Amino acid sequence: MKHLLTALALAVLLVAPNAMARSYVIAVNQFVEHPALDAVFNGLSTYFKENNIEVTFKHHNAQANMGTANQIGQQMMAEQADLLVAIATPSAQACAQALLKAPPSAKRPLLFSAVTDPVAAGLVKDLKNPGGKITGVSDQLPIAKHIEMVRTFLPKMQRLGILYNAGEANSRATVVAIRELSATQGFEVVEATAAKTGDVYQAAASLVGKADAIFIPTDNTIIAALENVLKIGIQHKLPVFAADVDSVRRGAVAAMGFDYYLHGRQTGAMARRILEGADPGTVPVEFQKDLQLQINSKYAALMGITPPQALLDTATKIYQ
Amino acid sequence: MITLSGCHKYFHKGSVNEVHPLDNISLAIEEGDFVTVIGSNGAGKSTLLNCIAGCFFPDTGSITINGCDVTRWPEHKRARFIARVFQDPLLGTCPSATIQQNLALAAKRGKPRGLGRGVKAKDRPRFVAALEHLGLGLETRLLDKVGLLSGGQRQALTMLMATLVKPEVLLLDEHIAALDPKTANQILTLTRDIVSEQGLTTLMITHNMKHALGFGNRLIMLHQGRIILDVRGEEKAALTVNDLLQRFYAVQGEELSLDSMLLT
Amino acid sequence: MTLYAALGAIEQGLVYGIMVIGVYLTFRILDFPDLTVDGSLPLGAAISAVAITHGYDPYLSLVFAAAGGFMAGVVTAVLNTKFRILHLLASILTMIALYSINIRIMSGPNIALLGSSTVFDRVSQLGVPPHLAGLVVFSILALTVAACMVWFLSTELGQALLATGDNPRMITSLGVNTHFIIILGVGLSNGLVAMSGALVAQNQGAADVGMGIGTIVAGLASVIIGETLFGASTIARALAAALLGSIAYRLAIALALGFEFGKFSFNPSDLNLITAILVIGALITPRIKRGLIQR
Repeated sequence: MKHLLTALALAVLLVAPNAMARSYVIAVNQFVEHPALDAVFNGLSTYFKENNIEVTFKHHNAQANMGTANQIGQQMMAEQADLLVAIATPSAQACAQALLKAPPSAKRPLLFSAVTDPVAAGLVKDLKNPGGKITGVSDQLPIAKHIEMVRTFLPKMQRLGILYNAGEANSRATVVAIRELSATQGFEVVEATAAKTGDVYQAAASLVGKADAIFIPTDNTIIAALENVLKIGIQHKLPVFAADVDSVRRGAVAAMGFDYYLHGRQTGAMARRILEGADPGTVPVEFQKDLQLQINSKYAALMGITPPQALLDTATKIYQ
Repeated sequence: MITLSGCHKYFHKGSVNEVHPLDNISLAIEEGDFVTVIGSNGAGKSTLLNCIAGCFFPDTGSITINGCDVTRWPEHKRARFIARVFQDPLLGTCPSATIQQNLALAAKRGKPRGLGRGVKAKDRPRFVAALEHLGLGLETRLLDKVGLLSGGQRQALTMLMATLVKPEVLLLDEHIAALDPKTANQILTLTRDIVSEQGLTTLMITHNMKHALGFGNRLIMLHQGRIILDVRGEEKAALTVNDLLQRFYAVQGEELSLDSMLLT
Repeated sequence: MTLYAALGAIEQGLVYGIMVIGVYLTFRILDFPDLTVDGSLPLGAAISAVAITHGYDPYLSLVFAAAGGFMAGVVTAVLNTKFRILHLLASILTMIALYSINIRIMSGPNIALLGSSTVFDRVSQLGVPPHLAGLVVFSILALTVAACMVWFLSTELGQALLATGDNPRMITSLGVNTHFIIILGVGLSNGLVAMSGALVAQNQGAADVGMGIGTIVAGLASVIIGETLFGASTIARALAAALLGSIAYRLAIALALGFEFGKFSFNPSDLNLITAILVIGALITPRIKRGLIQR
């Protein structure tokens, strides 16, 4: 009986520290509110909830404004958080700069999420060994797969229009990759840029008559104003393709993309490791592997295009 | 030596509001002339002065100063020859600058301004001496802002500033009209003193016939843009106010008879 | 407010203080409301960023930036003096045009300077810790600019400039070409603002086409707060007040952003409202003071 009691006491003592787990503060700099980035934050916070880890989030929204993102970056340095998270490239850059300028006592690990090209953005030098205080999860797209999907929809496509914000490093990198592909695959690339969400409608309109389809990379500015692009697509029967599945739900014809909710969870898992003591410099940048194909048949019809049966068969979700 | 030849100026030409304040004005002002200019309202007195100063260009005709054709020179370019005192006593000085800063600005009239010190220490004795001349006690207030001075004090300062660098012609546009009688007198005396000391060529517009006769060696009367009287020296000295009035009505009478001739 | 936040605000106050001196020159001295600054601040940032990313020395890029700002100011002033366009309108036209020009210069709406060489490198080499580098550089630059301005305004040309804003009719009759003075003054002002923009870009790691929006408001707020708090009886005092007003303005903003009342706290997007309240407060305070004294 005495042994049982001792064992019980030991067990309680072992479990107790976990039960009295400390709570963390995570400061988040989200660049803009659109479904994909919102899903990232959702995934992040749900991960901690499900694992019974108490986290207070200081969630800031830069509303697609670089100046605000910078201000938030500086503000976050003074918030005494245990970890900094930046969602989307412009916010990550702003936080990285604020981190650089902060006094040693204020420096914290910085985790980026939904950043397409961390190296091009200047966040890390080596993806395997970031070697500083910054690491994260990247949503870099395998461009070839996307273009393959678009060409399956439109085998006769000659001109692919790309709509993006030239100010987003992530988009610029994607456009370069598409151009390289276009040279070998024999189609033309037509670019239209929008510097802010207010310019998106006009940029989309400029592609009418100049492109056979519109492709939207993971560009925060365009995605935030997606409805404007869809309007042009429906009006002029110009199919709009995206690179993230949340956009398909909103009306893009199809996308070969990531589930950003899972992206958020992946970020949460990495965040947990760092909170529990891992050195961010040794944590390699992670990529998301699970591509899904989602198709929106309703909008496809509105834009004058019929999804090929082969793709309908492999799609994980079809919106009617 | 200032000459105007055949100067015409129209405002709002061709419209109902057309005015012709300078009608074929030809005038030669000799060096050292102190000319008083009188005339009824709208006669063209201020327009004449503004034309000489360069505030606008005459429609036809030419203006020369010391042989230089300045007809198309803008006002700031003519400033090297011309000094002005305005009717508004507040217009001639910078209110937020100090007395010595104002004097320093005037000391560079017509000269190029570079990056040398604005107020030079070596100029200060000169300024003090000039201010003492005024007898207003301003020489002890070099660092006071001009905005604190009264209208009369500012006008006196403007007179001083106008003559710090000797001009080819001094233009006085009813410069005492806005002052109270006592101050006006002081400024008038100052005017006479400065003009005679420096031998300045001067044009003085005045409403006051007594002043017009009592000052200067030459008198010009303007009416509807034309010079209807130009007397100098002995002839001027012999005139009385009544004479002037008679001359004035005589001219008006001539105009009237011209009209009546046309209408019958 | 933490010491870090306070130091950050002072740093902002100093770097934008150069812009405030520029705004003071046009708004108060020349009596020329100039909205060009909303476009010339990012112009300076853009020129500097392009120069730096093409390998030019960051300090040299400041000179390029200032030259660009000067030209922008000249355009506004020429539109006003030679073409008789109202100064407010002329400056708005230049400001609008600069938005497109800035995007052309940067080949996009922004250029990232993360990891590029900046004006802080030289200071860091001297051993100043990175989080104080900004404070050191901006203090030196701001004080140098202020001192140069005080000197310039005491020269013959500078005195003529002051007179042009104070009594243009008088100074014209004293032989000064006021058109030239205005072009020089507005050009100089925007040159300073552009230089300020170049420094801001290097400080925040990017030049962005939208970073100039609200510059004139921040500038005026700083001028007005400075005058209310520190007075402006002499030129030197007025310029010092401009710099101090800039710092006071940024400190007030930082205070507001750090303010928490239960669950309520300000967002960065509330900055415009906070600025408006601050300026209204600064403008009303003298009136209230006078009213209280009369009682």
